[in-house]
Amino acid sequence: MAGPAPRVWFVFGFRDLAATPVPVPVPAGEGLRAVRPGWSYEGHVTKGSRLLLQGAVCGCLPQDCLDLLPGETHLLLLRAGALEAWAPPAPDLRGDPAWSRPLCPREAAQAVLPLVPGGYVTPRPPFFTPLPPMLQAQKLTLGHDHVVLLSTGGALYTWGSGRHGQLGHGSLECMAEPRLVEALHGVPMGEVAAGGWHSASVSEAGDLYIWGWNRWGQLALPSQALAESKVGATVAGTGSPIKPASHAADEFISIQAFPALLDLPEVSKISCGSSHTAAVTRAGDLYTWGWGKYGQLGHTDTTSSDQPQPVAYFPANRLRVEDVVCGPWSTYVCAVEA
Amino acid sequence: MSTPCSPEGPAAPPSPSADQALAGGSAWADIHALLPSTKEGLRLDFSEKVEGSVVSLLQQAGSLLYGARGNFVGDAREKCLRVSEIILDYSWEKLNIGTWRNVDKEWRRVYAYGCLFKALCLGDQPDARAEAVRVCDMGLLLGASILENILVRLINVLQQHLRRSKRPGADDAEEPGRKKIREACPTVPTIEPDAAIPRLHCPSLEHFRDNYLIPQKPVVLEGVVGHWPCMKKWSVDYLRQVAGCRTVPVEVGSRYTDKEWSQSLMTVDDFISRYIVSTNKIGYLAQHQLFEQIPELKQDICIPDYCCLGEGEEEDITINAWFGPEGTISPLHQDPQQNFLVQVIGRKYVRLYSPQESENLYPHETSLLRNTSQVDVEDPDLVNFPKFERAASQACILTPGQVLFVPVKYWHYVRSLDLSFSVSFWWS
Repeated sequence: MAGPAPRVWFVFGFRDLAATPVPVPVPAGEGLRAVRPGWSYEGHVTKGSRLLLQGAVCGCLPQDCLDLLPGETHLLLLRAGALEAWAPPAPDLRGDPAWSRPLCPREAAQAVLPLVPGGYVTPRPPFFTPLPPMLQAQKLTLGHDHVVLLSTGGALYTWGSGRHGQLGHGSLECMAEPRLVEALHGVPMGEVAAGGWHSASVSEAGDLYIWGWNRWGQLALPSQALAESKVGATVAGTGSPIKPASHAADEFISIQAFPALLDLPEVSKISCGSSHTAAVTRAGDLYTWGWGKYGQLGHTDTTSSDQPQPVAYFPANRLRVEDVVCGPWSTYVCAVEA
Repeated sequence: MSTPCSPEGPAAPPSPSADQALAGGSAWADIHALLPSTKEGLRLDFSEKVEGSVVSLLQQAGSLLYGARGNFVGDAREKCLRVSEIILDYSWEKLNIGTWRNVDKEWRRVYAYGCLFKALCLGDQPDARAEAVRVCDMGLLLGASILENILVRLINVLQQHLRRSKRPGADDAEEPGRKKIREACPTVPTIEPDAAIPRLHCPSLEHFRDNYLIPQKPVVLEGVVGHWPCMKKWSVDYLRQVAGCRTVPVEVGSRYTDKEWSQSLMTVDDFISRYIVSTNKIGYLAQHQLFEQIPELKQDICIPDYCCLGEGEEEDITINAWFGPEGTISPLHQDPQQNFLVQVIGRKYVRLYSPQESENLYPHETSLLRNTSQVDVEDPDLVNFPKFERAASQACILTPGQVLFVPVKYWHYVRSLDLSFSVSFWWS
């Protein structure tokens, strides 16, 4: 067989897409290099380095656009000479941006959004937030109102809202400044992800740690809401005593304020949606769990799950999963033929 | 089953009187009569805080509703249901970002509209009517008031049709009645006479003001609320009858400082079956503005006359319901307002500490619990909290018909000794 097998992006979840993976449509002859998922639209980075918007906003962005973060109020753009926020997002970029910040081309070429020189950007005001210079950031991910940062040394810092335990400091306090996640200190991390109200990280050894809100089972810990919704259908409104659920009441976890180690095969990639989580193992399998109402778990239905479940589509089609990127209510998966 | 509405369709159907509704008008006609005559009347305009993609979903739901020309069935309804689910899920996320205080009111309006659309989609189907009431209640609990409180009015109509379609006697079979016999008697604490909160029969406003309100001294008032209708009317059966299908917030676990404590939403029927009739776990319908949600119950209570001594307006008084089994505990805490705690059903043991004792009470250090003591009042850990022993306290066993005045910032600990219903009035 000549050359490497082609990498194909699949999607499942919100926007009338099925609960079964389907290939992300791409212009003929142009493969996808990366996907930047949003809620009502998404960005595609093609192998030819073109930027396309798909969904509620649709079209091709100008040539000097290098990368983007799609938001509902603003589209944040990395261009060769500047960072810009556009509202409402329009691909033709006529008029003036809502916000901009100059950037030299060399800096622009090196930026890995949302990290930019001196800080990070968000597709909503204030758009740019400076980071303390001593924090050598390797990767940064944004939750609804918290931030998870991976330093070049493999240490984890979090800040923002902690009301759902999403900072991992063991409390529900909010932090204005980046703070080291002490519970994981000394365990070098290789990957991080922030969900809406939860966070996850993968150690260099492939162990997955997860913390924050478990409302829909997004931490893969026993969720009371899910247990109740399973029996609820037959009980609601009848006034009859509820059947005992499979878990004892005190086994349910609503909020996990310290990182919890999950029992999964060695993990290579992790991504979090608003209330779901997806992990790729080193063996090339995809596991998903959490909120599934819009089919974002890819298990051919719309149920939620508080247990990691392999997405059967990929092995069934002899595909090996290499990468995963979650949108708020959707999941994008990059796979190659096994 | 869905019956088309009046021949003139959605264009300004006459609003049927309650009599007509009860005489057997179709559910959809009655529901439809609540709606504005045109789609524009829905007033789907929002500030720039609400994103365009969401506003267009709201418009889409509105068009589906009004485009249906009185036949809101099949595809249009299915589609409207799907769109309202998206509106609800999206705005629910917004309501949970940041602190509740900082959530923009516009998002609470969006959520309420989502509930309205969903309830309208469900309300036409007899099997889904109870679910429609639940959806409206979610809108009342989490949303902002829209269209002259349309959700309250919609619940009224839905309940009329629910009651009508109920088979007579269907409830009685499983009605638990008042089987209030418990194995173990509650431990009733003894109160030393000099630590008892003074009791007073129906004092004049001046006497109460000069001797208790101004010097900020607690007192138990008697003969003040005995004539309130709730004193005779309220029982578990009555609450089931009036509010059985209504959704309320319930605290599960014996005290809110416990690790296992959680809050969940359930119907009053479910709450009563799980926590009042059977008693293996503690659930507490606590600190909930039930009377805003269910105006019918508000008619059974009054505002204590003494509240007029405050500076606030009557609308500023916060009225909360506290309904639970024997054994519910509110840990020692303080509130920023004056409080009249009115006991309607059962007894409650209350312990009070003046605000001067704060340093002996070891308040929690986290911002969420700063108004709450770390000490378990009835089983104090004097090794970790030695100064607690020095704190002077007063106590009482509050019985039906009594009212406890808890001054601003007074620390209070409350444990129910029986199945209990209390109503608190916070005023300034």
